[in-house]
Amino acid sequence: MEEKQSGSPASLIDSTVVPGDVVLDLSSMTNQTIKLGGGLRQDCDAISVMKAGTLRFSKPNKYWVESSQKRYTPCVEDAVLGIVVDSKADNFLIDIKGPVLAFLPVLAFEGGTRRNIPKFEVGTLLYLRVVKANFGMNPELSCTDASGKAAEFGPLKDGYMFETSTGLSRKLLSSPTCPVLEALGKKLSFEIAAGLNGRVWVNAATPDTIVVVANAIMNSESLSGAQQIIMVEHLLKNIQ
Amino acid sequence: MEYVSPEGLRLDGRRPMEMRQIRAEIGTVARADGSAVFEMGNTKVIAAVYGPREVQNRSQQISDQALVRCEYSMANFSTGDRRRKPKGDRRSTEISLVIRQTMEACILTHLMPRSQIDIFVQVLQADGGTRSACINAATLALADAGIPMRDIVTSCSAGYLNSTPLLDLNYIEDSAGGPDVTVGILPKLDKVTLLQMDAKLPLDIFENVMGLATEGCKAVANYIREVLLENTKQLEYRRGL
Repeated sequence: MEEKQSGSPASLIDSTVVPGDVVLDLSSMTNQTIKLGGGLRQDCDAISVMKAGTLRFSKPNKYWVESSQKRYTPCVEDAVLGIVVDSKADNFLIDIKGPVLAFLPVLAFEGGTRRNIPKFEVGTLLYLRVVKANFGMNPELSCTDASGKAAEFGPLKDGYMFETSTGLSRKLLSSPTCPVLEALGKKLSFEIAAGLNGRVWVNAATPDTIVVVANAIMNSESLSGAQQIIMVEHLLKNIQ
Repeated sequence: MEYVSPEGLRLDGRRPMEMRQIRAEIGTVARADGSAVFEMGNTKVIAAVYGPREVQNRSQQISDQALVRCEYSMANFSTGDRRRKPKGDRRSTEISLVIRQTMEACILTHLMPRSQIDIFVQVLQADGGTRSACINAATLALADAGIPMRDIVTSCSAGYLNSTPLLDLNYIEDSAGGPDVTVGILPKLDKVTLLQMDAKLPLDIFENVMGLATEGCKAVANYIREVLLENTKQLEYRRGL
């Protein structure tokens, strides 16, 4: 395996990197400010990789490693699907597949006051927005958007929830629409809520539609765009 | 007993500086956050990583870093005779501690305070070098789980029988009573994270044997890098990137 030169960052951008790889040598880049995103760390003069993934660069000076895992790192303004684990006086404790549990203040609902605090049982599935994700603190969530309106956040009734990798959730939420959702949408009518933390919820009129949609999405994890369309056609042929 | 023939061949036909065939697979345990199977010759080990997740025992929570727990066990069917107690015996407890300390040195625990990372390694087939195979499998499982690490950790063992340093001992050579040096390194950073030896060795011979084990670690590191890169490329390709 050839050693990539650590002094030429251009050669590693958009290629796969592994923990321990040195992607930038700061001693050869003076008077420049660079911004490091996830997956990179600074060790004296070398910027090295912490997570296996693809190194990305965006002008003018942002570097980060894009990777897909099963667990989630909370980020502000992400939409996630959380499960209620416990309720305290001031917050609900929510599991969002992160390193620690997240807090959902009991008043973080549209028109929420001390008199109409919702009662969520342990195990309720909620669609939430991450409000605060500071290092070392439990993340804080909310059931409203930035302006205080409910906007689709809140408990998800009926339907079926399954888990995926964070990479697949990002793909489901990307624009243009990912091939598997487009192909399914042409023939079936369903509703999905995709959380960036690797949880997806599907609801439709009949259980078999829900099952087909869920299976199609789970299968698309390991397929390329064209293969996804073929897979969906195959699945739909079997039920129609 | 002759462990190295006059022609320079060992009991299994290898040369003294030759490692056994290694094979690795990532993502074998669907339920775990990261998993890997690692084979060194006939030694086969499976590792599963869970985390970073909420600490289950509040009293063990560390406020400024992640808690790393490791459990090593050998399957009943892994050795020649069926084992009675797969874990909880002294050897398993010792190896669990060794693996935990080795992996903790390379995980960036300060990035995930008050959380917990569980590493479970189980030996499916034991033929010498289980400790090293477990560390190699744990590295792949941690990388698969996306846990931030300084570098990958690789490990290999070496011994000294019939006045010859031997790389990657199998079970028969290991039970011969000679020294068994296990080395764990961070290949890119060129640092040693694990160094263990049983029995005794004169210092100059020890240098040779440790150097040989380190070479073995570097060879494992090349292979592990290839496997990780290939696995990551596949993931990217499937997501259409």
